[in-house]
Amino acid sequence: MSAVTDKATSLPAGFEALEAFVPYWVHETNDKRREARSTAQMEDIQAFYDTVVPMAEQGIAYLEQYELGKMPADAERLFKLLLAMNHAAIAVEMHGAPRAFDSTWPSAVRITQGPWPHGGRI
Amino acid sequence: MSAVIDKVETGTSGTPRHQMAEECFTLDAGLPTGPVSVEPYRSPEFFERERERVFKRAWLFAGRIEQLPEHDSYFVKEILICKASVLITRSKEGKVQAFHNVCSHRGNLVVNKPCGRAERHVCRYHNWAYGGKDGALLGIPDQKHFFDVDKKSLGLTPIACDVWEGFIFVNFQKQPEVTLAEFLGPFGTTYAGIPYFNLDETIVIQADFKANWKLIADAFAEPYHVPSLHPATLAPGFAHPEDNRYARPLSARAHGIHRHFSAYGNPHYVPAPTSKVESLVYIQDTGGVLGGDASENAQGVMNHPAINPTKNPNWSADVTWIFPNFNIDYSTGGFWIHEFWPVAYNRTQWTLRIFIPKTASIRHRLQLEHYASRWAEVVLEDVTNCERIQLGLESGAKDHMVLQDAEMLIRHNLWVLDKWMKADKVADALK
Ligand code: FES
Ligand SMILES: [Fe+2]
Repeated sequence: MSAVTDKATSLPAGFEALEAFVPYWVHETNDKRREARSTAQMEDIQAFYDTVVPMAEQGIAYLEQYELGKMPADAERLFKLLLAMNHAAIAVEMHGAPRAFDSTWPSAVRITQGPWPHGGRI
Repeated sequence: MSAVIDKVETGTSGTPRHQMAEECFTLDAGLPTGPVSVEPYRSPEFFERERERVFKRAWLFAGRIEQLPEHDSYFVKEILICKASVLITRSKEGKVQAFHNVCSHRGNLVVNKPCGRAERHVCRYHNWAYGGKDGALLGIPDQKHFFDVDKKSLGLTPIACDVWEGFIFVNFQKQPEVTLAEFLGPFGTTYAGIPYFNLDETIVIQADFKANWKLIADAFAEPYHVPSLHPATLAPGFAHPEDNRYARPLSARAHGIHRHFSAYGNPHYVPAPTSKVESLVYIQDTGGVLGGDASENAQGVMNHPAINPTKNPNWSADVTWIFPNFNIDYSTGGFWIHEFWPVAYNRTQWTLRIFIPKTASIRHRLQLEHYASRWAEVVLEDVTNCERIQLGLESGAKDHMVLQDAEMLIRHNLWVLDKWMKADKVADALK
Protein backbone atom coordinates (compact mmCIF):
# COMPACT_ATOMS: atom_id res chain seq x y z
CA MET A 1 0.00 0.00 0.00
CA SER A 2 1.19 3.48 -0.57
CA ALA A 3 1.81 6.53 0.23
CA VAL A 4 1.55 9.68 2.09
CA THR A 5 -0.87 8.85 4.84
CA ASP A 6 -0.24 10.44 8.16
CA LYS A 7 -0.26 7.38 10.41
CA ALA A 8 -1.15 9.43 13.44
CA THR A 9 -4.46 10.56 12.05
CA SER A 10 -5.37 8.71 8.91
CA LEU A 11 -6.73 5.53 7.48
CA PRO A 12 -4.89 3.21 5.09
CA ALA A 13 -4.84 4.21 1.43
CA GLY A 14 -8.02 3.31 -0.33
CA PHE A 15 -10.23 4.20 2.63
CA GLU A 16 -10.15 7.98 2.27
CA ALA A 17 -13.94 8.08 1.95
CA LEU A 18 -14.16 7.13 5.64
CA GLU A 19 -11.75 9.79 6.88
CA ALA A 20 -14.52 12.23 7.80
CA PHE A 21 -16.01 9.70 10.24
CA VAL A 22 -12.82 9.06 12.20
CA PRO A 23 -13.17 11.88 14.75
CA TYR A 24 -16.66 10.90 15.87
CA TRP A 25 -16.70 7.11 15.47
CA VAL A 26 -13.24 5.84 16.43
CA HIS A 27 -13.15 4.84 20.10
CA GLU A 28 -11.13 2.57 22.35
CA THR A 29 -13.97 0.58 23.91
CA ASN A 30 -17.18 -1.18 23.08
CA ASP A 31 -19.04 1.04 25.54
CA LYS A 32 -17.73 4.28 24.01
CA ARG A 33 -18.82 3.20 20.54
CA ARG A 34 -22.24 2.42 21.95
CA GLU A 35 -22.40 5.82 23.59
CA ALA A 36 -21.40 7.54 20.34
CA ARG A 37 -24.27 5.87 18.50
CA SER A 38 -26.76 6.39 21.31
CA THR A 39 -26.17 10.13 21.43
CA ALA A 40 -25.85 10.77 17.67
CA GLN A 41 -28.49 12.16 15.34
CA MET A 42 -30.12 9.55 13.13
CA GLU A 43 -29.05 11.32 9.92
CA ASP A 44 -25.41 11.23 11.04
CA ILE A 45 -25.67 7.54 11.91
CA GLN A 46 -27.25 6.88 8.53
CA ALA A 47 -24.52 8.82 6.69
CA PHE A 48 -21.82 6.79 8.44
CA TYR A 49 -23.68 3.54 7.80
CA ASP A 50 -24.23 4.32 4.12
CA THR A 51 -20.55 5.05 3.61
CA VAL A 52 -18.97 2.30 5.68
CA VAL A 53 -21.15 -0.67 4.77
CA PRO A 54 -20.20 -0.80 1.04
CA MET A 55 -16.50 -0.69 2.06
CA ALA A 56 -16.74 -3.25 4.85
CA GLU A 57 -15.68 -6.38 2.90
CA GLN A 58 -12.74 -4.49 1.46
CA GLY A 59 -11.86 -3.34 4.98
CA ILE A 60 -12.04 -6.84 6.42
CA ALA A 61 -9.82 -8.16 3.61
CA TYR A 62 -7.29 -5.40 4.26
CA LEU A 63 -7.20 -6.01 8.00
CA GLU A 64 -6.82 -9.77 7.62
CA GLN A 65 -3.16 -9.28 6.65
CA TYR A 66 -2.45 -8.38 10.30
CA GLU A 67 -2.49 -10.34 13.50
CA LEU A 68 -5.25 -9.38 15.90
CA GLY A 69 -4.07 -6.88 18.46
CA LYS A 70 -0.91 -6.09 16.44
CA MET A 71 -1.77 -3.59 13.75
CA PRO A 72 -0.24 -0.33 12.62
CA ALA A 73 -2.16 2.72 13.82
CA ASP A 74 -3.91 3.42 10.52
CA ALA A 75 -5.18 -0.16 10.21
CA GLU A 76 -6.30 -0.18 13.83
CA ARG A 77 -8.28 2.98 13.19
CA LEU A 78 -10.01 1.30 10.28
CA PHE A 79 -10.73 -1.72 12.50
CA LYS A 80 -12.35 0.52 15.11
CA LEU A 81 -14.50 2.15 12.43
CA LEU A 82 -15.72 -1.30 11.37
CA LEU A 83 -16.45 -2.10 15.01
CA ALA A 84 -18.47 1.13 15.23
CA MET A 85 -20.35 0.04 12.11
CA ASN A 86 -22.06 -2.65 14.23
CA HIS A 87 -23.43 0.00 16.52
CA ALA A 88 -24.67 2.08 13.61
CA ALA A 89 -26.42 -1.08 12.44
CA ILE A 90 -28.30 -1.40 15.71
CA ALA A 91 -29.81 2.02 14.99
CA VAL A 92 -30.36 1.57 11.25
CA GLU A 93 -31.28 -2.11 11.00
CA MET A 94 -33.14 -2.61 14.28
CA HIS A 95 -34.66 0.54 15.70
CA GLY A 96 -34.80 3.05 12.85
CA ALA A 97 -33.72 5.41 15.64
CA PRO A 98 -30.47 6.01 17.52
CA ARG A 99 -31.54 3.72 20.37
CA ALA A 100 -34.36 1.61 21.71
CA PHE A 101 -37.84 3.11 21.64
CA ASP A 102 -38.67 4.94 24.89
CA SER A 103 -35.27 4.21 26.43
CA THR A 104 -33.70 6.74 28.76
CA TRP A 105 -30.33 8.41 28.28
CA PRO A 106 -27.94 8.89 30.01
CA SER A 107 -28.37 5.29 30.91
CA ALA A 108 -27.42 3.17 33.89
CA VAL A 109 -26.29 0.43 31.52
CA ARG A 110 -22.59 -0.02 30.80
CA ILE A 111 -20.63 -2.56 28.81
CA THR A 112 -17.92 -2.84 31.45
CA GLN A 113 -15.96 -5.46 29.56
CA GLY A 114 -16.02 -5.91 25.80
CA PRO A 115 -14.52 -8.60 23.57
CA TRP A 116 -10.78 -8.56 22.88
CA PRO A 117 -9.24 -6.57 21.23
CA HIS A 118 -10.55 -3.00 21.58
CA GLY A 119 -13.47 -4.03 23.79
CA GLY A 120 -12.07 -2.35 26.85
CA ARG A 121 -12.62 -2.77 30.57
CA ILE A 122 -14.20 -0.25 32.89
CA MET B 1 -38.32 -4.15 11.76
CA SER B 2 -35.43 -5.56 9.90
CA ALA B 3 -34.85 -9.18 10.51
CA VAL B 4 -37.22 -11.77 9.22
CA ILE B 5 -38.12 -15.23 10.26
CA ASP B 6 -38.38 -17.74 7.50
CA LYS B 7 -41.70 -19.30 6.66
CA VAL B 8 -43.11 -21.98 8.89
CA GLU B 9 -42.12 -25.27 7.40
CA THR B 10 -44.81 -27.86 7.34
CA GLY B 11 -44.24 -31.56 7.29
CA THR B 12 -45.93 -33.82 4.79
CA SER B 13 -48.88 -34.11 7.13
CA GLY B 14 -49.18 -30.33 7.14
CA THR B 15 -48.59 -30.00 10.88
CA PRO B 16 -46.73 -26.89 11.98
CA ARG B 17 -43.24 -27.37 13.38
CA HIS B 18 -44.14 -25.80 16.66
CA GLN B 19 -47.03 -27.14 18.69
CA MET B 20 -48.26 -24.89 21.43
CA ALA B 21 -47.77 -26.51 24.80
CA GLU B 22 -51.01 -27.91 26.13
CA GLU B 23 -49.98 -28.26 29.74
CA CYS B 24 -50.46 -25.63 32.41
CA PHE B 25 -47.06 -24.77 33.89
CA THR B 26 -48.56 -23.05 36.92
CA LEU B 27 -50.81 -25.90 38.00
CA ASP B 28 -48.12 -28.49 37.24
CA ALA B 29 -45.80 -26.63 39.60
CA GLY B 30 -48.46 -26.87 42.32
CA LEU B 31 -48.97 -23.12 42.46
CA PRO B 32 -52.16 -21.14 43.07
CA THR B 33 -53.45 -18.96 40.23
CA GLY B 34 -54.81 -15.82 41.93
CA PRO B 35 -53.42 -12.26 41.86
CA VAL B 36 -50.23 -11.68 43.88
CA SER B 37 -49.28 -8.84 46.22
CA VAL B 38 -46.80 -6.20 45.05
CA GLU B 39 -45.66 -5.32 48.61
CA PRO B 40 -42.43 -7.35 48.16
CA TYR B 41 -41.41 -4.88 45.45
CA ARG B 42 -42.09 -1.60 47.19
CA SER B 43 -41.95 -2.03 50.94
CA PRO B 44 -38.75 -0.89 52.76
CA GLU B 45 -39.76 -3.07 55.75
CA PHE B 46 -40.14 -6.11 53.54
CA PHE B 47 -36.70 -5.37 52.11
CA GLU B 48 -35.06 -5.32 55.55
CA ARG B 49 -36.65 -8.65 56.42
CA GLU B 50 -35.60 -10.03 53.04
CA ARG B 51 -32.01 -9.15 53.90
CA GLU B 52 -32.18 -11.10 57.18
CA ARG B 53 -34.43 -13.99 56.21
CA VAL B 54 -33.28 -14.62 52.63
CA PHE B 55 -29.86 -13.18 51.84
CA LYS B 56 -28.28 -13.92 55.21
CA ARG B 57 -29.56 -17.52 55.17
CA ALA B 58 -29.46 -18.63 51.51
CA TRP B 59 -26.45 -19.85 49.56
CA LEU B 60 -25.43 -16.99 47.28
CA PHE B 61 -23.46 -17.11 44.04
CA ALA B 62 -20.08 -15.43 44.45
CA GLY B 63 -18.01 -16.38 41.39
CA ARG B 64 -16.65 -19.05 39.06
CA ILE B 65 -13.64 -21.27 39.66
CA GLU B 66 -11.95 -19.83 36.52
CA GLN B 67 -11.47 -16.69 38.65
CA LEU B 68 -9.06 -18.79 40.74
CA PRO B 69 -6.80 -20.29 38.07
CA GLU B 70 -3.93 -21.31 40.40
CA HIS B 71 -3.25 -21.92 44.05
CA ASP B 72 -2.98 -18.61 45.92
CA SER B 73 -5.27 -16.95 43.36
CA TYR B 74 -7.88 -14.74 44.97
CA PHE B 75 -10.71 -12.36 44.18
CA VAL B 76 -12.82 -10.05 46.29
CA LYS B 77 -16.59 -10.09 46.02
CA GLU B 78 -18.55 -7.23 47.55
CA ILE B 79 -21.96 -8.42 48.70
CA LEU B 80 -23.69 -5.19 49.65
CA ILE B 81 -26.96 -6.74 50.78
CA CYS B 82 -25.04 -8.58 53.51
CA LYS B 83 -22.72 -5.59 54.01
CA ALA B 84 -19.80 -7.89 53.36
CA SER B 85 -16.52 -7.77 51.50
CA VAL B 86 -15.67 -11.40 50.79
CA LEU B 87 -12.16 -12.64 50.03
CA ILE B 88 -12.26 -15.87 48.04
CA THR B 89 -9.04 -17.85 47.69
CA ARG B 90 -7.69 -21.12 46.42
CA SER B 91 -5.35 -22.76 48.89
CA LYS B 92 -2.14 -24.70 48.13
CA GLU B 93 -4.24 -27.86 48.48
CA GLY B 94 -6.64 -26.52 45.86
CA LYS B 95 -9.45 -25.81 48.32
CA VAL B 96 -11.72 -22.85 47.58
CA GLN B 97 -12.25 -20.83 50.75
CA ALA B 98 -14.06 -17.63 51.63
CA PHE B 99 -13.30 -15.13 54.40
CA HIS B 100 -14.53 -11.80 55.59
CA ASN B 101 -11.98 -9.41 54.10
CA VAL B 102 -11.63 -7.73 57.49
CA CYS B 103 -8.52 -7.31 59.60
CA SER B 104 -8.49 -8.78 63.12
CA HIS B 105 -6.56 -5.79 64.44
CA ARG B 106 -8.89 -2.84 64.00
CA GLY B 107 -11.25 -3.91 61.27
CA ASN B 108 -9.71 -2.46 58.12
CA LEU B 109 -10.45 -4.11 54.77
CA VAL B 110 -7.36 -6.20 54.05
CA VAL B 111 -7.34 -6.76 50.27
CA ASN B 112 -8.16 -3.79 48.09
CA LYS B 113 -7.53 -5.22 44.65
CA PRO B 114 -10.37 -6.99 42.83
CA CYS B 115 -8.27 -10.08 42.08
CA GLY B 116 -4.75 -11.43 41.86
CA ARG B 117 -2.38 -14.02 43.24
CA ALA B 118 -0.64 -13.75 46.61
CA GLU B 119 0.67 -16.08 49.29
CA ARG B 120 0.13 -13.48 51.99
CA HIS B 121 -2.46 -10.73 52.33
CA VAL B 122 -1.13 -7.75 54.25
CA CYS B 123 -3.42 -5.18 55.85
CA ARG B 124 -1.94 -1.80 54.97
CA TYR B 125 -2.94 -0.06 58.19
CA HIS B 126 -0.32 -1.75 60.41
CA ASN B 127 0.94 -4.57 58.18
CA TRP B 128 -0.72 -7.50 59.87
CA ALA B 129 -0.24 -10.42 57.48
CA TYR B 130 -2.63 -13.29 56.70
CA GLY B 131 -2.36 -16.36 54.54
CA GLY B 132 -1.35 -19.97 54.46
CA LYS B 133 -4.01 -22.39 55.45
CA ASP B 134 -7.44 -21.16 56.47
CA GLY B 135 -6.62 -17.45 56.47
CA ALA B 136 -4.29 -17.73 59.45
CA LEU B 137 -2.66 -14.67 60.97
CA LEU B 138 1.01 -15.02 60.04
CA GLY B 139 2.57 -12.01 61.62
CA ILE B 140 2.04 -8.96 63.85
CA PRO B 141 4.61 -6.16 63.64
CA ASP B 142 5.85 -5.14 67.10
CA GLN B 143 4.00 -8.04 68.64
CA LYS B 144 5.74 -7.77 72.01
CA HIS B 145 3.83 -4.61 72.86
CA PHE B 146 0.44 -6.32 72.51
CA PHE B 147 -1.21 -7.89 75.56
CA ASP B 148 -1.60 -11.67 75.50
CA VAL B 149 -2.45 -11.93 71.83
CA ASP B 150 -3.39 -15.38 70.69
CA LYS B 151 -2.43 -15.39 67.02
CA LYS B 152 -4.25 -18.68 66.43
CA SER B 153 -7.63 -17.10 67.17
CA LEU B 154 -6.95 -13.99 65.07
CA GLY B 155 -7.08 -15.38 61.54
CA LEU B 156 -9.50 -14.05 58.94
CA THR B 157 -13.10 -14.88 59.81
CA PRO B 158 -14.25 -17.73 57.54
CA ILE B 159 -17.45 -17.67 55.53
CA ALA B 160 -19.08 -20.95 54.53
CA CYS B 161 -18.19 -21.66 50.92
CA ASP B 162 -18.84 -24.52 48.53
CA VAL B 163 -18.62 -25.20 44.81
CA TRP B 164 -21.20 -26.74 42.49
CA GLU B 165 -20.26 -27.38 38.85
CA GLY B 166 -17.59 -24.69 39.06
CA PHE B 167 -19.97 -22.11 40.54
CA ILE B 168 -18.79 -20.80 43.91
CA PHE B 169 -21.45 -20.12 46.54
CA VAL B 170 -21.15 -18.57 50.00
CA ASN B 171 -23.47 -18.61 52.99
CA PHE B 172 -23.46 -15.96 55.74
CA GLN B 173 -24.85 -18.17 58.49
CA LYS B 174 -22.02 -18.96 60.91
CA GLN B 175 -23.01 -22.62 60.72
CA PRO B 176 -25.21 -22.96 57.62
CA GLU B 177 -28.38 -24.82 58.51
CA VAL B 178 -28.33 -26.61 55.16
CA THR B 179 -25.51 -27.62 52.84
CA LEU B 180 -25.20 -26.23 49.33
CA ALA B 181 -26.30 -29.62 47.97
CA GLU B 182 -29.42 -29.53 50.16
CA PHE B 183 -30.08 -25.94 49.17
CA LEU B 184 -29.82 -26.73 45.45
CA GLY B 185 -31.93 -29.85 45.96
CA PRO B 186 -33.34 -31.41 42.78
CA PHE B 187 -31.97 -28.53 40.70
CA GLY B 188 -28.41 -29.47 41.68
CA THR B 189 -28.81 -33.06 40.57
CA THR B 190 -30.86 -32.39 37.43
CA TYR B 191 -28.42 -29.77 36.12
CA ALA B 192 -25.23 -31.61 37.07
CA GLY B 193 -22.82 -32.62 34.32
CA ILE B 194 -23.56 -29.96 31.73
CA PRO B 195 -20.45 -29.55 29.53
CA TYR B 196 -19.64 -25.84 29.90
CA PHE B 197 -17.30 -24.24 27.38
CA ASN B 198 -15.73 -20.86 26.58
CA LEU B 199 -15.64 -19.86 30.22
CA ASP B 200 -12.44 -17.80 30.04
CA GLU B 201 -13.60 -14.90 27.85
CA THR B 202 -16.50 -12.71 28.80
CA ILE B 203 -18.56 -9.71 27.82
CA VAL B 204 -19.75 -7.98 31.00
CA ILE B 205 -22.74 -5.64 31.06
CA GLN B 206 -23.67 -3.89 34.29
CA ALA B 207 -26.34 -1.53 35.46
CA ASP B 208 -27.00 0.23 38.75
CA PHE B 209 -30.59 1.40 38.60
CA LYS B 210 -33.66 2.47 40.51
CA ALA B 211 -35.87 -0.59 40.86
CA ASN B 212 -36.39 -3.53 43.19
CA TRP B 213 -34.08 -6.47 42.40
CA LYS B 214 -37.01 -8.79 41.72
CA LEU B 215 -38.28 -6.60 38.87
CA ILE B 216 -35.21 -7.29 36.77
CA ALA B 217 -35.16 -10.96 37.81
CA ASP B 218 -38.81 -11.12 36.72
CA ALA B 219 -37.94 -9.54 33.37
CA PHE B 220 -35.65 -12.47 32.59
CA ALA B 221 -38.11 -15.02 33.93
CA GLU B 222 -40.76 -14.68 31.25
CA PRO B 223 -40.65 -14.35 27.46
CA TYR B 224 -44.23 -12.96 27.25
CA HIS B 225 -42.80 -9.42 27.01
CA VAL B 226 -40.34 -10.20 24.21
CA PRO B 227 -42.60 -9.30 21.25
CA SER B 228 -43.73 -6.04 22.86
CA LEU B 229 -40.71 -4.71 24.77
CA HIS B 230 -37.99 -6.11 22.48
CA PRO B 231 -39.64 -5.89 19.04
CA ALA B 232 -36.41 -5.36 17.09
CA THR B 233 -33.68 -6.71 19.34
CA LEU B 234 -35.17 -10.09 20.28
CA ALA B 235 -38.60 -10.71 18.83
CA PRO B 236 -37.43 -11.81 15.35
CA GLY B 237 -35.45 -14.68 16.84
CA PHE B 238 -37.63 -15.53 19.83
CA ALA B 239 -41.22 -15.18 18.69
CA HIS B 240 -43.08 -15.83 15.48
CA PRO B 241 -46.05 -13.91 14.07
CA GLU B 242 -47.96 -17.12 13.26
CA ASP B 243 -46.14 -19.88 15.05
CA ASN B 244 -45.66 -18.44 18.52
CA ARG B 245 -46.87 -14.89 18.65
CA TYR B 246 -46.45 -14.41 22.39
CA ALA B 247 -43.22 -16.37 22.70
CA ARG B 248 -44.85 -18.98 24.93
CA PRO B 249 -42.20 -21.08 26.71
CA LEU B 250 -41.62 -24.63 25.49
CA SER B 251 -41.50 -25.74 29.12
CA ALA B 252 -41.48 -24.10 32.54
CA ARG B 253 -40.93 -26.06 35.73
CA ALA B 254 -40.10 -25.74 39.38
CA HIS B 255 -37.04 -27.64 40.68
CA GLY B 256 -37.52 -27.45 44.43
CA ILE B 257 -37.03 -23.76 45.29
CA HIS B 258 -35.39 -23.08 41.91
CA ARG B 259 -36.92 -23.03 38.44
CA HIS B 260 -36.42 -22.90 34.68
CA PHE B 261 -38.16 -22.07 31.46
CA SER B 262 -37.20 -23.08 27.94
CA ALA B 263 -37.48 -20.31 25.38
CA TYR B 264 -38.84 -20.72 21.90
CA GLY B 265 -36.56 -19.81 19.05
CA ASN B 266 -36.42 -20.11 15.35
CA PRO B 267 -33.40 -22.32 14.62
CA HIS B 268 -33.53 -21.25 10.98
CA TYR B 269 -33.44 -17.55 11.74
CA VAL B 270 -31.35 -15.60 9.26
CA PRO B 271 -30.87 -11.84 9.04
CA ALA B 272 -33.09 -10.00 6.58
CA PRO B 273 -31.41 -9.03 3.28
CA THR B 274 -31.81 -5.38 4.28
CA SER B 275 -29.84 -6.03 7.48
CA LYS B 276 -26.54 -5.71 5.69
CA VAL B 277 -24.27 -5.48 8.70
CA GLU B 278 -25.95 -8.27 10.60
CA SER B 279 -25.60 -10.45 7.47
CA LEU B 280 -21.99 -9.42 7.03
CA VAL B 281 -20.92 -10.43 10.51
CA TYR B 282 -23.36 -13.25 11.03
CA ILE B 283 -21.70 -16.61 10.67
CA GLN B 284 -23.65 -19.76 11.39
CA ASP B 285 -20.77 -21.50 13.09
CA THR B 286 -20.35 -18.76 15.65
CA GLY B 287 -23.88 -19.21 16.86
CA GLY B 288 -27.24 -17.60 16.52
CA VAL B 289 -28.80 -14.34 17.62
CA LEU B 290 -27.73 -14.92 21.19
CA GLY B 291 -25.05 -17.46 20.56
CA GLY B 292 -21.33 -17.33 20.41
CA ASP B 293 -19.85 -20.69 19.58
CA ALA B 294 -19.57 -23.67 17.30
CA SER B 295 -22.44 -26.08 17.19
CA GLU B 296 -20.24 -29.00 18.23
CA ASN B 297 -19.87 -27.57 21.73
CA ALA B 298 -23.50 -26.56 21.83
CA GLN B 299 -24.58 -30.06 20.84
CA GLY B 300 -23.20 -31.48 24.09
CA VAL B 301 -25.29 -28.99 26.04
CA MET B 302 -28.41 -29.63 23.99
CA ASN B 303 -28.09 -33.38 24.49
CA HIS B 304 -28.16 -33.03 28.28
CA PRO B 305 -31.54 -34.19 29.60
CA ALA B 306 -32.04 -31.07 31.75
CA ILE B 307 -31.65 -28.71 28.81
CA ASN B 308 -34.78 -28.13 26.74
CA PRO B 309 -36.32 -31.10 28.57
CA THR B 310 -39.06 -31.63 25.98
CA LYS B 311 -36.32 -31.61 23.28
CA ASN B 312 -38.43 -29.27 21.19
CA PRO B 313 -36.62 -28.53 17.89
CA ASN B 314 -37.61 -24.86 18.07
CA TRP B 315 -35.52 -24.23 21.15
CA SER B 316 -33.30 -21.22 21.68
CA ALA B 317 -32.31 -20.99 25.34
CA ASP B 318 -33.02 -22.21 28.86
CA VAL B 319 -33.28 -19.69 31.64
CA THR B 320 -32.59 -21.17 35.06
CA TRP B 321 -33.26 -19.10 38.14
CA ILE B 322 -31.44 -20.25 41.23
CA PHE B 323 -33.11 -18.75 44.27
CA PRO B 324 -32.77 -16.01 45.26
CA ASN B 325 -30.85 -13.86 42.76
CA PHE B 326 -28.84 -15.90 40.27
CA ASN B 327 -29.51 -17.10 36.71
CA ILE B 328 -27.52 -19.54 34.63
CA ASP B 329 -28.73 -19.49 31.04
CA TYR B 330 -27.94 -22.01 28.34
CA SER B 331 -28.35 -21.28 24.64
CA THR B 332 -27.65 -22.82 21.26
CA GLY B 333 -24.35 -20.95 21.24
CA GLY B 334 -23.16 -20.52 24.80
CA PHE B 335 -23.87 -19.44 28.36
CA TRP B 336 -24.53 -16.33 30.30
CA ILE B 337 -25.21 -15.63 33.96
CA HIS B 338 -27.10 -12.89 35.74
CA GLU B 339 -26.56 -11.62 39.27
CA PHE B 340 -29.36 -9.41 40.58
CA TRP B 341 -27.98 -7.75 43.71
CA PRO B 342 -30.32 -5.74 45.91
CA VAL B 343 -28.95 -2.45 47.24
CA ALA B 344 -32.15 -0.91 48.58
CA TYR B 345 -35.82 -1.75 48.20
CA ASN B 346 -35.77 0.42 45.07
CA ARG B 347 -32.19 0.03 43.86
CA THR B 348 -30.39 -2.86 42.18
CA GLN B 349 -26.94 -3.65 40.86
CA TRP B 350 -27.14 -6.12 38.04
CA THR B 351 -24.24 -7.91 36.38
CA LEU B 352 -24.65 -9.91 33.20
CA ARG B 353 -21.65 -12.02 32.25
CA ILE B 354 -21.76 -13.52 28.76
CA PHE B 355 -19.23 -16.25 28.05
CA ILE B 356 -17.76 -15.99 24.56
CA PRO B 357 -15.14 -17.80 22.50
CA LYS B 358 -11.68 -16.29 22.05
CA THR B 359 -11.64 -13.89 19.11
CA ALA B 360 -10.54 -15.95 16.11
CA SER B 361 -10.54 -13.48 13.21
CA ILE B 362 -11.42 -9.95 12.15
CA ARG B 363 -14.90 -11.01 11.09
CA HIS B 364 -15.42 -12.94 14.29
CA ARG B 365 -14.45 -9.87 16.30
CA LEU B 366 -17.00 -7.82 14.35
CA GLN B 367 -19.64 -10.45 15.12
CA LEU B 368 -18.79 -10.31 18.83
CA GLU B 369 -19.17 -6.51 18.75
CA HIS B 370 -22.58 -6.91 17.16
CA TYR B 371 -23.48 -9.52 19.77
CA ALA B 372 -22.40 -7.27 22.67
CA SER B 373 -24.22 -4.30 21.15
CA ARG B 374 -27.44 -6.21 20.73
CA TRP B 375 -27.23 -7.47 24.31
CA ALA B 376 -26.61 -3.98 25.67
CA GLU B 377 -29.66 -2.76 23.79
CA VAL B 378 -31.82 -5.55 25.22
CA VAL B 379 -30.54 -4.67 28.68
CA LEU B 380 -31.31 -0.99 28.10
CA GLU B 381 -34.88 -1.87 27.16
CA ASP B 382 -35.31 -3.93 30.32
CA VAL B 383 -33.64 -1.51 32.73
CA THR B 384 -35.59 1.47 31.44
CA ASN B 385 -38.76 -0.54 31.83
CA CYS B 386 -37.97 -1.74 35.38
CA GLU B 387 -37.48 1.83 36.57
CA ARG B 388 -40.93 2.67 35.20
CA ILE B 389 -42.53 -0.32 36.92
CA GLN B 390 -40.97 0.72 40.23
CA LEU B 391 -42.61 4.15 39.87
CA GLY B 392 -45.90 2.53 38.99
CA LEU B 393 -45.85 0.20 41.98
CA GLU B 394 -44.72 2.86 44.44
CA SER B 395 -47.60 5.10 43.36
CA GLY B 396 -49.86 2.79 45.34
CA ALA B 397 -52.33 2.60 42.47
CA LYS B 398 -52.22 -1.19 42.48
CA ASP B 399 -51.92 -3.64 45.33
CA HIS B 400 -51.74 -6.74 43.17
CA MET B 401 -50.42 -7.96 39.88
CA VAL B 402 -52.05 -10.52 37.65
CA LEU B 403 -49.84 -13.27 36.28
CA GLN B 404 -50.47 -15.51 33.29
CA ASP B 405 -49.24 -19.09 32.87
CA ALA B 406 -46.07 -18.06 31.00
CA GLU B 407 -45.16 -15.94 34.04
CA MET B 408 -45.07 -19.01 36.27
CA LEU B 409 -41.46 -18.44 37.36
CA ILE B 410 -42.36 -15.07 38.89
CA ARG B 411 -45.22 -16.63 40.82
CA HIS B 412 -42.98 -19.47 41.96
CA ASN B 413 -40.33 -17.04 43.17
CA LEU B 414 -42.83 -15.05 45.21
CA TRP B 415 -44.22 -18.27 46.64
CA VAL B 416 -40.75 -19.52 47.65
CA LEU B 417 -39.83 -16.07 48.96
CA ASP B 418 -42.91 -16.07 51.18
CA LYS B 419 -41.82 -19.40 52.66
CA TRP B 420 -38.34 -18.03 53.44
CA MET B 421 -39.85 -14.96 55.06
CA LYS B 422 -42.09 -17.09 57.29
CA ALA B 423 -39.99 -20.17 58.07
CA ASP B 424 -37.85 -19.98 61.20
CA LYS B 425 -35.86 -22.99 60.04
CA VAL B 426 -34.21 -23.01 56.63
CA ALA B 427 -35.10 -26.67 56.23
CA ASP B 428 -38.77 -25.66 56.39
CA ALA B 429 -38.21 -23.02 53.72
CA LEU B 430 -36.91 -25.74 51.39
CA LYS B 431 -40.01 -27.89 51.61
S1 FES C 1 -6.26 -2.64 61.05
FE1 FES C 1 -5.23 -4.10 59.91
S2 FES C 1 -3.22 -3.98 60.66
FE2 FES C 1 -4.26 -2.55 61.89
FE1 LIG D 1 -36.52 -8.35 28.58
